[in-house]
Amino acid sequence: MPHPTTDHHPSKILSLKNVGLYYSRRQRFLRRTRYWALRDVSFDLYAGETLGVIGRNGVGKSTLLRVLAGILAPDIGHVHILRQEMRISLISLGAGFVPYLTGRENAILSAMLLGATKNEVHERMKAIVDFSELNGFFDEPVNTYSTGMRARLGFSVAYHVDPDVILLDEVLGVGDQAFRKKSTDAMKKRIQSDKTVVIVSHSAPLLREMCNRLVWIEDGRTRAQGDVGDVLDAYVQSTASGK
Amino acid sequence: METKNINIPTMSGLKARTAKDKKYLFDLVIQEAWAGLRAEASRGYLGVLWWVIEPVMYMSIFYTVFAHLMHRGDENYVMFLLTGLITWKWFQATVNTGASSLMNNAGLMNLVYVPKIIFPLTNIAVNTFKFFIILALFLTFLLFSRVPLSPVWLLLPVLVAAQLLLIVALTCLLAALMPFFPDLRVILDNLLLMLFFLSGIFFDISQLPASIRQYLVLNPMAALIDMFRALLIKGLPPDWQPLMLVVLLSLLILTVALRLLRRFDRVYPKIIY
Repeated sequence: MPHPTTDHHPSKILSLKNVGLYYSRRQRFLRRTRYWALRDVSFDLYAGETLGVIGRNGVGKSTLLRVLAGILAPDIGHVHILRQEMRISLISLGAGFVPYLTGRENAILSAMLLGATKNEVHERMKAIVDFSELNGFFDEPVNTYSTGMRARLGFSVAYHVDPDVILLDEVLGVGDQAFRKKSTDAMKKRIQSDKTVVIVSHSAPLLREMCNRLVWIEDGRTRAQGDVGDVLDAYVQSTASGK
Repeated sequence: METKNINIPTMSGLKARTAKDKKYLFDLVIQEAWAGLRAEASRGYLGVLWWVIEPVMYMSIFYTVFAHLMHRGDENYVMFLLTGLITWKWFQATVNTGASSLMNNAGLMNLVYVPKIIFPLTNIAVNTFKFFIILALFLTFLLFSRVPLSPVWLLLPVLVAAQLLLIVALTCLLAALMPFFPDLRVILDNLLLMLFFLSGIFFDISQLPASIRQYLVLNPMAALIDMFRALLIKGLPPDWQPLMLVVLLSLLILTVALRLLRRFDRVYPKIIY
């Protein structure tokens, strides 16, 4: 059995059983086909661990994250949530920002969309401003921001809303050099704390460094799961042999 | 540190289970509506003034055409026409834009889980806010035009509430259906156009022969507009029977709409992209 590297009591917080999901795509007139992004995915998520998801490019991994976040419901199979009062959030960087509104107003909106109550947002506003390093710009309309600034704001909000389970979709490499370092460090700190994290990435070194366990998704199915090292080796081997 | 209960993905769809959840949804709608209004207000040079100028322009055009060009007009016709126009505009603007509210939020609903009902509700909040501004101005206009202020006007909130219920029901239903039948967009545009002419905005329904009138009053907006006029201009309380029928119809539609929105809450992001 896998062992998360925290001294918390290892307990399951989430379990996917034979999850499958299709998208309907209209082909010809009145004909629809189903594209199965996920067919048969099963794995467990334990409190405090950092789970990696690896697999070839395709719609499957992002879809999986959306299923975990509760955005999409699977068409077959089940998602078992074993804890009450859990916030599971996708970290996205500043999409959903309303251009004419200020950074502050967007921060409030984003935070609330991520599940924070109005009070929680106000409590953490100072921390959000400080971390984003936006200073005076915080009260300027967001359409005057550079992409990097938008990313910093988005990240700062997501970080401070502090969901119980963090879902990362290869998001750590955004922003300029300095901020990237800061956000990566901040993320790593969060990750090594008692937060549960699921990271989707192509970067084997990143996954090897950050994760306890890894799930390999291939063709919409769970190909392997287990210790990071073992699964990565198998994955690398299979892609190298041109599968 | 308390966390929100609302984000748990369950298989049975979303119910705002606790009072805390409902407050969260309410806060979110208000915040989003406020953001929408602020965004509108900062556009162009006139910004907030447009909330007044646009309806005034709209009403002036109709008044000019009907009172002057078509010589329909006596002084009373102005009140008559304007009552119909502002209540209709509220209905039409909300239902028309609200129907597309889910379709327009593909990005957001794919990034974060929100109960999809947020989208039509936000739209309704924005449009209703604007209507209240115009209504206040219109009531002031009526008082200045020596229309008697009658205690019957206290029943005005009842009519407003009834129309709001109708609007909420229809908007939610259309918003729920639109992702499955995008063709509804075109059908709706034309249906609203037809209703526009059949709702007794330009003519008085009560002056028509019974054989025609019985069909026209099947249109809830025609019934409501007639009640608004009776209340504000003639000082008559609304007829309870047709009012109850409108409310009942709205509740029926709303029940269906809520079922749909709940059933497909976690399916919409899949089909709207």
